[in-house]
Amino acid sequence: MLRRAVPVLLVLLAASPVARALSPDELRKVVETLDDRQRNSGDWRALCYMESKEKGKTDVVYELLVYRRDQDDKQLFLFTQPKSEAGKGYLRMEKNLWSYDPSTGRWERRTERERIGGTDTRRDDLSEPRLAVDYEAKWEGDEKLGVYDVHHIVLTVKPDVDVSYPVRHLWVDKASLNILKRQDLALSGRLMRTSYYPKWKKIYSESKKGEVWYPEEMRFFDEIEKGNSTLILIQEIDLRPLDPNIFTKAWLESKSR
Amino acid sequence: MIANDLIMAGRNLFRHTRRSVILAGALAAITALLVLLTSLTTGIERAMMESATTLMTGHVNVGGFFKITAGSAAPLVSGYPRVLEEVRREVPELDYAVARGRGFAKVVSDAASMDIVLSGVEVASEPMFAKVVVPLAGRIADLAQPGTMLLFQGQAERLKVKVGDTVTLSAPTANGVNNTSDVRVAVIARNIGLLSAFSAFIEQRTLWQLYGLSPQATGAIHLFLKDQQAAPVVAARLRAGLAQAGWRVMDPEPQPYWMKLMYTVPSEDWTGQKLDVTTWKDELGQFQSYLTVVNLVTAILIVVLMVVVIIGIINTMAIAIRERTREIGTLRAIGMQRRKVLWLFVLEMTLLALVGTASGALVGVLVGALLTAAGIHVPDAMQMFLVQERLAFVVEPGRVVRYVATLTLVVALASLLPARRAARLKPITAMHHIG
Repeated sequence: MLRRAVPVLLVLLAASPVARALSPDELRKVVETLDDRQRNSGDWRALCYMESKEKGKTDVVYELLVYRRDQDDKQLFLFTQPKSEAGKGYLRMEKNLWSYDPSTGRWERRTERERIGGTDTRRDDLSEPRLAVDYEAKWEGDEKLGVYDVHHIVLTVKPDVDVSYPVRHLWVDKASLNILKRQDLALSGRLMRTSYYPKWKKIYSESKKGEVWYPEEMRFFDEIEKGNSTLILIQEIDLRPLDPNIFTKAWLESKSR
Repeated sequence: MIANDLIMAGRNLFRHTRRSVILAGALAAITALLVLLTSLTTGIERAMMESATTLMTGHVNVGGFFKITAGSAAPLVSGYPRVLEEVRREVPELDYAVARGRGFAKVVSDAASMDIVLSGVEVASEPMFAKVVVPLAGRIADLAQPGTMLLFQGQAERLKVKVGDTVTLSAPTANGVNNTSDVRVAVIARNIGLLSAFSAFIEQRTLWQLYGLSPQATGAIHLFLKDQQAAPVVAARLRAGLAQAGWRVMDPEPQPYWMKLMYTVPSEDWTGQKLDVTTWKDELGQFQSYLTVVNLVTAILIVVLMVVVIIGIINTMAIAIRERTREIGTLRAIGMQRRKVLWLFVLEMTLLALVGTASGALVGVLVGALLTAAGIHVPDAMQMFLVQERLAFVVEPGRVVRYVATLTLVVALASLLPARRAARLKPITAMHHIG
């Protein structure tokens, strides 16, 4: 009985759809595509809503405007709501991130990996991704994420590159190449944050002469402090050229006068 | 001669018992209040000094910041053995030195989280640590094991943890990479005032691991001097010496290191290593300002009390002179000189003041000692301001003697004016006075 069953099992196993590993070239292409799809060769302006939930605290919803000029590594966050936060902001110029508080009129230089508004959002969550530049990718396997067939890719930081998270796991939709889920690990290997990107949208960019993809909704779950989470909604994207004065301290200060 | 004068002054005081008792009582109350107030301030200062020099700072510290980029700063001294070597050369007053890791992390338990200033400690090399930190659960020696931490009672209550529980420390490394460390709570210690509200201890190697540091790096070198009063002089000499030896040294700034780490240093345009030499007073900048305010309030109170004393003395003496005008007239008529009359009145008041202030000081010292012995628990909300868990009054004998002498002198000076008026009375007018 067993002798007859073994060949049948072998045939069945051979016929089953076993995941084929992505070759290094294919993998590199996937990661480069992830970066390229979100890259916009010009300026960027978006209206964002950020809902922060912290255990034992009242939920806070922030409204902010995000301005980007990626070719110069410039970025500006201007909080417009709630009233207590209105006028506050961050200005990134190359490797420097400055925080401004209109109540004190003071500028403070912060680390690039500052939590924006004290939430689980980092500056680079709202920047152009540099996954192919900063990380080495490894194909972990093809999996099912809900109804989606996904590539599970592990990114490990390249030597001498400074990033917030040295290891990142990505679950990329095989059909659309959208990132659906991401997990960020600490240097110790401990899972720190899980992010979900349920909605992606595209917009035509005149400067890129092509489509720019962006996650319309991002959900960050703190894995260290269970119960803390942040939801970000990105709306009203405008890719027209921005006034260069926007990326100055004076411009941000003027918004609260 | 003086003995006779003293006897006369004493008799006069006894003759007007009621007035003398009221005046001496008022002076005694003022002195007692003054002694209590200053011994409370001294108690706060002493408690702060004792706990601070164990928990957060040495008498002098050689700390520093390392900046990979202008916007990021880590509180560390790289290659500290070489710095320590230079320190030993520069500071002959050094009693002993300890290397402490410094950091700032989020402590997360299953129930809650809090931001905390972390110190990496090697308990085996810090004998004073076990003397100041009183464990309520666990043993201080257990903090020598890797992956352990000491929390203070208030922190443990807030995080809802007990000895043996595991908490997660989350902090960026010196390079800004997020890192975590799961540590076991080995000791829960009794609160030591405000300082224990936001600082906790972790085994040194675990701290290095969390911040991704090499054993050649440390947070700061805490120097304990044979005489702590020499701290400012030693700090200034060290600053100059280290700069001369080639290290970049920061300008003196009386702020705790964690405030510099959070606000000042990241805003400065430099990268690499800079050393920061501070004294314990610098590290306790805000508490020091708080103490200055307390001392200022005490000083204002003293001035107000002095004014009240002067007005009271002048007024009481004016009444006394009025009542004793005929007596003064008689004394002048039988040949007593004006200077002698003035001297007798001043002596009388000085004697009264001495008795009053001395007994007041004695009462102040006794009440302070009784309250300290009673070990009155300071309410949690007040611990923030009093920097101690149990009320402690520390009497400095020298200061008490100074208060007694100053108050007596003030009374003597205040009595000069009415005494002069008494001495100027003409005998005939005085004798005809009907009072």
